[in-house]
Amino acid sequence: MESVELAFGGTSGIVVLLAYGGLMLAVGLITFLRNRNIHESLDEYYLGGRGLGVMVLFFTFFATQYSGNTVVGYPPTAYRIGYQYLVSVPFFIMIIAVYLFFAPRLYALGRRFSLLTPVDWIDIRFKSKAVTILAATLMLYALGNYLLEQFVAIGQGVSGLTGGTIPYQVGVVFFIVIMVAYSWLGGMRSVAYTDTIQGIALLFGVFMLLVGSIMYFGGPSAAAEVMRTQAPEKLGAPDTGGLAHWFSLLALVGIGAAVYPHAVQRIFSARSEATLKRSFIRMAYMPFITAGVVFLVGIIGIAAFPGLTTGESEQLVGRIANALALEHPVFYWAMILLFGGVIAAIVSTADSVLLTFSSIVSNDLYGRYVDPQAEEHRKILVGKLVGLVAVVVLVIIAWYPPSTLYQIFVLKFELLIQAAPALVLGLYWSRLNSRAVFIGMLAGTLLASTMTFAGWKPLGVFSGLWGLSLNVAVCVIGSLLVGVSRDEHEHAVEVIGEY
Amino acid sequence: MKRKSKEPVKSPLVWIVFVAVFAAINPWYFPAGSFEPLIWGVPYWAWIILAASLALSVFVTWVVCCQWDMGADEDSSHDPGYSHGHDREEG
Repeated sequence: MESVELAFGGTSGIVVLLAYGGLMLAVGLITFLRNRNIHESLDEYYLGGRGLGVMVLFFTFFATQYSGNTVVGYPPTAYRIGYQYLVSVPFFIMIIAVYLFFAPRLYALGRRFSLLTPVDWIDIRFKSKAVTILAATLMLYALGNYLLEQFVAIGQGVSGLTGGTIPYQVGVVFFIVIMVAYSWLGGMRSVAYTDTIQGIALLFGVFMLLVGSIMYFGGPSAAAEVMRTQAPEKLGAPDTGGLAHWFSLLALVGIGAAVYPHAVQRIFSARSEATLKRSFIRMAYMPFITAGVVFLVGIIGIAAFPGLTTGESEQLVGRIANALALEHPVFYWAMILLFGGVIAAIVSTADSVLLTFSSIVSNDLYGRYVDPQAEEHRKILVGKLVGLVAVVVLVIIAWYPPSTLYQIFVLKFELLIQAAPALVLGLYWSRLNSRAVFIGMLAGTLLASTMTFAGWKPLGVFSGLWGLSLNVAVCVIGSLLVGVSRDEHEHAVEVIGEY
Repeated sequence: MKRKSKEPVKSPLVWIVFVAVFAAINPWYFPAGSFEPLIWGVPYWAWIILAASLALSVFVTWVVCCQWDMGADEDSSHDPGYSHGHDREEG
């Protein structure tokens, strides 16, 4: 893959990366020193003692949704398909809108039953080993994929920022070691605090990128002139195929990202209902200044660097940053901070994913089936170690990265979304049959995976949505046909009937 | 015992408004390929989509403020049969 050498990177880039790394380690260490009992309780380690306040909760939600990918991967897509990628703004709002249909009850149940992970909820609701293990496996697989994607992005970002001075592999290993260290030291608390720092750095950098792009490349009007003459389809409203793509992105991302295990876990870690509500309101307006700004950078890129091939356009943000850095010293430093912020944001998404991965291992697999009698300290340790093994395996896979990030992004959603019926329908429908849930989840997973590998996309709708449709159909029709046993129904009413 | 609570999912109004706003954020109601007039270099339909997106954000605010009150924090005493670990297996 062709890469753009960043003239401004080199030593300054290395200094900024080392500073970020040091800061994150310091946060982990301080959190550790201030909360010595953190490793004795699953609640403390994985949920920050269920005490996250509005700002920290907001930024940690922010970090689970917006990764460095949003900054590096979205502008190239906007560059290639033009205004039809404006869908990236409403789709981030959709995630929050989708939360409104299940988070209120899930938060209340989380308090009542001390829920730790989404699988925890599925287990309490269905009391079915098969459903619990299948859901846990799907989530671990998707989280692993997600983590892999972040690792590849870290490596590319680091080597890009330093103009290749730090090789891809060194960047990956350096940041993963730091990430594992502060996550182990402070658990959810240090993950959430570093998310806050990383989020602020990213917001600042993205804002400067837009200001610079408009100043030096002329804003959307200049881009519109180029598109009008060279590629009017990038300006035009979508046709039927474009609409199907738009719709399925909204539906897939809205539902998929809302049921992300690490996002659901954040619902449990809110200090109070009021805290959670305030964080959601803030999140609902963020897409305009995050996805919106990033989208605009891609559009401006059309005028700034016309005629790039798909491969070349993947480096669009690097090219723009490079050009800006050469224009003015303020932008030189702002772009270094931006790339530091991008890498920090990738790390902050990865740490959340890793923590949730470990919590599912600690609580849902080891703590439930392998050694239920174990001390919480030991469960945490097992989660950490299995997480570490997963990280090592993923680093080996990430050593020689795949070329584009977008395909992998869709792949993890396709699977994760299959846990949604158990998670959400289970909240409201006491007659949902656990066997139907299991068969639905399995059938949806198989269909979505097969379609993804075969590259089928009937009517332009993503395979994950076809899988989800089958999944929901099996759940609903199966439950209606077979019904539930008296015991099952009574249990469901006991768990959810109060609301 | 049923407790008094307000939950968005139970309100028909929330669903109706959501469906309406969701329909508005999908650009099916523009002629395919049209982009004139451009306002500050941005196609007219993109502005409308942005306005609809803002409506979705306002919808979220409205639902959170006015339709969501589960009183979850009033009952912070956790259910004893469902604490972590092996207790739950029997619970």
